[in-house]
Amino acid sequence: MTLLEITSLKTWFPTRDGIVKAVNAVDLKIEDKEKLGLIGETGSGKSILGMSIIRLFHSSVKINIEGKIVYKGKDLLRLSKEEIRKIRGKEIAMILQNPTTSLNPVLKVGDQIAEAIRLHQRLDKRTAKEKAVEMLKAVKIPSPDKMANKYPHEFSGGMKERAMIAMGLACDPSLIIADEPTKGLDVTIKMQVVKLLREVTKQRSMLFITHDLGVAAEICDNIAVMYAGELVEYAKTEDIFKNPLHPYTQGFLNSLPERGLKPIRGMSPSLINLPDGCRFHPRCDYATGICKTRHPEMVEIENGHFVRCLLYD
Amino acid sequence: MIEVKDLRKYFSSGILKKQCIKAVDGISFQIERGETLGLVGESGCGKTTVGKLLLRLIEPTSGEIIFDGIDLLQLKRKELRRLRPRMQMIFQDPEASLNPRMKIGDSIAEPLKLQGTMGKSEIKDKVSELIETVGLNPEHVNRYPYQLSGGQNQRVVLARVLALNPDFIVADEPTSSLDVSVQAQILNLIQDLKRELHLTLLFISHDLEVVRRMSERIAVMYYGKIVEIGNTNDIFGYERHPYTNTLISPVSVGVGDIFLEGANKKNTNVYRGLSGCVFYPGCPFAAEICSKKEPEMVEIEKGHWVACHCVT
Repeated sequence: MTLLEITSLKTWFPTRDGIVKAVNAVDLKIEDKEKLGLIGETGSGKSILGMSIIRLFHSSVKINIEGKIVYKGKDLLRLSKEEIRKIRGKEIAMILQNPTTSLNPVLKVGDQIAEAIRLHQRLDKRTAKEKAVEMLKAVKIPSPDKMANKYPHEFSGGMKERAMIAMGLACDPSLIIADEPTKGLDVTIKMQVVKLLREVTKQRSMLFITHDLGVAAEICDNIAVMYAGELVEYAKTEDIFKNPLHPYTQGFLNSLPERGLKPIRGMSPSLINLPDGCRFHPRCDYATGICKTRHPEMVEIENGHFVRCLLYD
Repeated sequence: MIEVKDLRKYFSSGILKKQCIKAVDGISFQIERGETLGLVGESGCGKTTVGKLLLRLIEPTSGEIIFDGIDLLQLKRKELRRLRPRMQMIFQDPEASLNPRMKIGDSIAEPLKLQGTMGKSEIKDKVSELIETVGLNPEHVNRYPYQLSGGQNQRVVLARVLALNPDFIVADEPTSSLDVSVQAQILNLIQDLKRELHLTLLFISHDLEVVRRMSERIAVMYYGKIVEIGNTNDIFGYERHPYTNTLISPVSVGVGDIFLEGANKKNTNVYRGLSGCVFYPGCPFAAEICSKKEPEMVEIEKGHWVACHCVT
């Protein structure tokens, strides 16, 4: 069953310097209990795509969202502010990157989680707090009743991340959008968080946004690769690693230290000034004349393996 | 080139300075000329402190640092200042290491001006030469750091570091804030420069794969101590210390859970100053002796040293 279906989603930000085209005509589907990885570099628009789903933007931000985001039969983009609020956190929760800035430094961690619970459930403060302690226990924070009364600065990086996950899980959402939850964590701590995420999402779907391919391989069933605001490849996790088709995906994998540290030449394009034709052509080793003018479509090459590249046309 | 003997740095904290954090607790190692030594460990294990100590940016509690035959800790301020151009450091966050109100060109020229041996036009030439060496365009000279990307800024930092022709560079997680493809560019650049300019490097990182690529030898640090040191090939493949093992394969069989539980208690040693092995609370192979006696560094093969009771 499809839980979430995104069709030709565009998220553009009009600014003084021009329109920032962060997400361009993205189609994406998340099945029930599927873990979908969204990988790409800084500035490829992957976080914005995640935030667009639940419209997590400040009201002062000028923004242009088009397309369809159908969740359980409802188009989220047609919902009013009030209606989307009821979905946000309860049905679809987001775990933001950088827990240090996402947690309120002057509120006790337990109270912050309780606050999230009380937004969606009619519970008195005491019960909500008890539930918060329960959540902290669920994410394996040692002596949760004590830790619930501590402030974020008393938590280590890994523990803060766990607290963020606890908050995300508090209202038992069906879909979790996790935006780089392992960023900045040490290897050993990272693996703990990965293990925990795998455990708590067994019965849920997750959109896992990351640039850490190793972690994506551990968690995700399928992987979508994003470049300059659009998807360039989509396949089963195994296929992405064993048989990457798009030159960008290949380059991305080859720049990993364990695969030879061969960088992709040039830099990611600015989202205001996107190249014509294939967005990747100025950096692509296989680019031919036609790549400069023709914009490739997503094509299914093998069963379930999609790629946006004229090489396979 | 560099020799460190029993280096210690204790920070005291608390109102009465009674709490003592042993950030670096008796470490010894050498770096040969032209070699890259990788220093790995998790955050908070004291690896940055080691880097800063080597350049005497902070004063050690005790120990010895010999730099090219000179005992750094015996030097007076003025003498140290004269030696400074030969040893430089690259920090984690390039944006934070550059003055946001200074143009890139001026930032690179600053150390040359401070040195005071070059004229204005000479400095200008040198700056354009450096800009080229690190792969930036001449027009970048008049830009400000905020106008450049993270990778470009790290190149600026490199140019600045190279300005004074150093022999020894401490690179403290130079790519941890960069994307993988940009990281690959910067790491390759560092490798090339090292070869061309015969640099000696201490490469600090928590990313094992990066360190593996960059270094000839690797030292593994855990809570203020070096627990294993050896050639890169020895550390990857013939690692002997249980901690190195967990780092290399954090999900490896059997170690996982026990280690993870122990990891939450790992701070205790540092604060309480317990005796015994630092890794004891988290170690899956801990025996009785591990809680009582601190293991010594033992050479198990040529150039491969391990501090663990279970191995020796």
